[in-house]
Amino acid sequence: MMFIRKPKATACRLAVAAFVSLFAGLVHAASFTFTAIPDQDESRLTERFGKVAGYLSEQLGVEVTYIPVKSYPAAVTAFRNNQVQLAWFGGLSGVQARKLVPGSEAIAQGAEDTAFKSYVIAHVSTGLSASGGFPEGIAGKSFTFGSKGSTSGRLMPEYYIRSHFNKSPEQIFSRVGFSGDHSRTIALVQAGTYEVGVVNYSVWDDELKQGLVDPAKVRVLWTTPEYPDYQWSIRGDVDATYGQGFKAKVRKALLEMSAPELLQAFPRSAFVPASNSDYAPIESTAVSIGLMDAP
Amino acid sequence: MNSPAVLFQMEGTSLAYQGREVLRDIRLRVSPGEKVALLGASGAGKSTLLRQLRLQQATQVAWCPQQPGLVPMLSVYHNIYMGRLDVIPWWKNLANLVYPNPVARTAIAAIASQLGIGDQLFTSADRLSGGQQSRVSLGRALYQRRPVFMGDEPVSALDERQADQLLGLMMQQHETAVVALHDVALAMRHCTRIVGLEHGRIQLDCPVSETSEQALLAFYPQ
Amino acid sequence: MNLPPLYPFLRSGFRVQRSAQGMLRTCLLFVVLALLCLPWADISVTTRDPWLELSRLGWGLLTPDFGRPGELILALANTLAFALQGVALGVVGGFLLALGYRFALIRRFSAFIRAIHELFWALLFIQLMGLSPLAGVLAIAIPYAGTFAKIYGELFEEVDPSAWQALPSGTGYLSGFFYTLLPQALRPMMIYTSYRLECGIRSSAVLGFIGLPTIGFFLETALKQGLYSEAAALFYALVLVIVTMRWWLQRRLVLFYLIAALVWLPPKVSLDTALVVRFFTEDIVPSPLRSIQGWSDVLPALERFWPWLNQLWQQQMWAGLTHTMILALLALVCTSVITLLWFPLISPLFGGRWRQAGGHVFLVWMRSAPEYLLAFVGLLLWGPSMLPAIVALALHNGAIIAHLVGRYSEGIRLREDAATGINRHFYEVLPRIFRPFMAFTLYRFEIIMRETAMLGILGIPTLGFYIDSAFSEFRFDRALLLLLLTAMLNMLVDGMARSLRQRLHLSSQPESL
Repeated sequence: MMFIRKPKATACRLAVAAFVSLFAGLVHAASFTFTAIPDQDESRLTERFGKVAGYLSEQLGVEVTYIPVKSYPAAVTAFRNNQVQLAWFGGLSGVQARKLVPGSEAIAQGAEDTAFKSYVIAHVSTGLSASGGFPEGIAGKSFTFGSKGSTSGRLMPEYYIRSHFNKSPEQIFSRVGFSGDHSRTIALVQAGTYEVGVVNYSVWDDELKQGLVDPAKVRVLWTTPEYPDYQWSIRGDVDATYGQGFKAKVRKALLEMSAPELLQAFPRSAFVPASNSDYAPIESTAVSIGLMDAP
Repeated sequence: MNSPAVLFQMEGTSLAYQGREVLRDIRLRVSPGEKVALLGASGAGKSTLLRQLRLQQATQVAWCPQQPGLVPMLSVYHNIYMGRLDVIPWWKNLANLVYPNPVARTAIAAIASQLGIGDQLFTSADRLSGGQQSRVSLGRALYQRRPVFMGDEPVSALDERQADQLLGLMMQQHETAVVALHDVALAMRHCTRIVGLEHGRIQLDCPVSETSEQALLAFYPQ
Repeated sequence: MNLPPLYPFLRSGFRVQRSAQGMLRTCLLFVVLALLCLPWADISVTTRDPWLELSRLGWGLLTPDFGRPGELILALANTLAFALQGVALGVVGGFLLALGYRFALIRRFSAFIRAIHELFWALLFIQLMGLSPLAGVLAIAIPYAGTFAKIYGELFEEVDPSAWQALPSGTGYLSGFFYTLLPQALRPMMIYTSYRLECGIRSSAVLGFIGLPTIGFFLETALKQGLYSEAAALFYALVLVIVTMRWWLQRRLVLFYLIAALVWLPPKVSLDTALVVRFFTEDIVPSPLRSIQGWSDVLPALERFWPWLNQLWQQQMWAGLTHTMILALLALVCTSVITLLWFPLISPLFGGRWRQAGGHVFLVWMRSAPEYLLAFVGLLLWGPSMLPAIVALALHNGAIIAHLVGRYSEGIRLREDAATGINRHFYEVLPRIFRPFMAFTLYRFEIIMRETAMLGILGIPTLGFYIDSAFSEFRFDRALLLLLLTAMLNMLVDGMARSLRQRLHLSSQPESL
């Protein structure tokens, strides 16, 4: 039970702790706090990441709290306001956060995140199928992204689609929606509500495995080239607050995290080192499609 | 009683208003052709008795309650038309709200001019004086075209001359009538039978010819 | 005999004096405007197999999962705490503003602060103070203060002035106010305030959608993940709290509730001054103007500013403005239809006690269901277009106005021989409720306009959609400009509705927002 600091803690207690900390502890920034929005299954976050908090606390020797947040922008805002010092961001939200908090840096990424990708999926009624190349036929269909601030559900697919057609999505598709979430994207395309959508590959693979995707109704048309995605970012001022070398200790703890029940929360197989420069392509992409102003 | 020899009948009935017994041991029969005036001080139970009588022949009665219950936003025409809502198909009623039915309009215009409100046919009821509102209420009763007229002080908001004239009209247009009145002279002039209520009982029930204005004034203690 | 006049609107000669004339004309105007909008309204039905997802949703509603009562109770407690504190602070602020409601400046200020949706206030405050309790409380309190100011102010205006005029000359304004105006306006103020608390609970729940730990936090996650049984449990809990309000909201307990809310969720905040300064001096300054260091930079910065503004106008503001207007107008007309269909459900004029109780529960359901949920069901059924948005807004707002109209109809006394059924609806009741119905609906127009913001999932680029985008891109300069535009639009609509109400003599019914 080394991962859980209070072995008797029930899910309910963890939830209480999380909320009390969100509003009492965090306001005073008493303990080292992190947040994470996984790319899938956002339910029971406090239960799952409570274990991660326990692990980090053991390793770092300070009290560590997890707070749940609702969206990428909320995570970035909490990071910016120093309500969290460490965050598991998507590629784009990490870039946005580090831009807003000078001195912060990316310290680790998921092993899978060095070469992340998105799928373009379509309802069978479109008659489109995978042909190896870019699916030209998606033009004129109704189309949905995931969340507005998502790297795999918005930024990178939009970039590839824009560069292929040399037009904006609004000009290419009959309608452009934002489902808000990868699972929603799959559900909506499967229902034929939107004809085409883009989705994070790992969410798709996972839902396919669980039998939530009906291959008779929705299928993958195309896989985007690979790009870097999720990463741990940490504020630059943690060494000053928590002692010299704290940042290095955090990085070490993350990279050494090996228990499957911890990694399952993200879900990643392991964490590997990362740096700000790994995400330069993401930033330039965001600038090129107008999601960020040029630095 | 298979023939309509008796329209309304009460044999020792007690009646309550808002949970309080106001009339005891009422024995009353009204036959077709009779014109009955109910007399009594306010609170004597006239309205309660009328309400109960109406329910006995609800489909035969053209009803004119004490509060006219007009719909303020609707015109005189529509308020009169409402007398026949139940016998006309609902879709015709709805269409009539948007565009008046020509047949109904002719009939109602005739009734309205008889009542002296022909000029206000398309005036909203809330713009009418109290007297005019009573006339609309009478108009609705007329338009119902039913054999029995039942009114609860139907002409009390009108001046003496108009009350006389309009009550005469109502009596002439209906075969049978039961009307609560407080004007003894009007009752004597237009009705064939007088029923006097006092202390929760029927104290007097006789043809007009057997009583006098003087005797009837006893129902209205000074 | 005259020909039948083309009745009721097309001809007004011939002694036609209709009290409803002005109102009918206004209604007709709105319907015609809505019809004119239709060609641009982007309504289409494109769905293939919604039934799998819908059956999951339906099954979830039938099998609510109350498996984690701890989380549910916490979320409910937080929801109530935010609502109580926010509404209480709003009452205080609104009351103070109402004292000066005679002054145009204060009226405009109130209109401005209520013109911005509580979600956007929350997004602003979260930027400034992080996810702190105070951010949530203020997000509710500020727009509510604007609304309270208006309603209280109008109630004071409508008080019978004779008591005031009878005061000895030389009585000060405040003494006069507390001895004559306030006592006379107090009762409707209390009624309205308690109604507003219900809205506060809903607002508080919705704030969970952007991260405050209220019931909306879990509801949004459950909906997004397709965990419909969990979503149903949360939704039912919220409905239960609102349905039972008339029993637990006792006047003598209010103070106790408020203290409990303050103890449960102390409105703390820790402000990072550097961040606040940066927010006001940099973040919200239009990006081309940020580089201004001295006078020599001003001209080149302005030269960059106009293209920036122009681009923003063409790409977002204009599209947002037109889509918002079209959507709001169509939703308003549909809301009116829904209202007229549904208010009989709770009206004692149509059906007995059980029917009314059932209708009451149904209307609470419909008005507590987040528009997001309704829009999502519509999206599955009819595909992405303006249609699900219109339906969602119409169902939600129609349920609210139907509730208010139904309550109003309780005061109507009909003749014993009044018609029944559909004849009763159209002849006896509709004309009598038409004036309050119009007043309520015009009040609601402004709110529908604000709520169009919530429907980004449908791919309809309303102003709210772009504001949300600007916040999620951390472009506060754009967000602020779009917010100002939205506020201006809302104030314009509010002003129009106010002058219409005055022209049509629709007295302001306080229970109407």
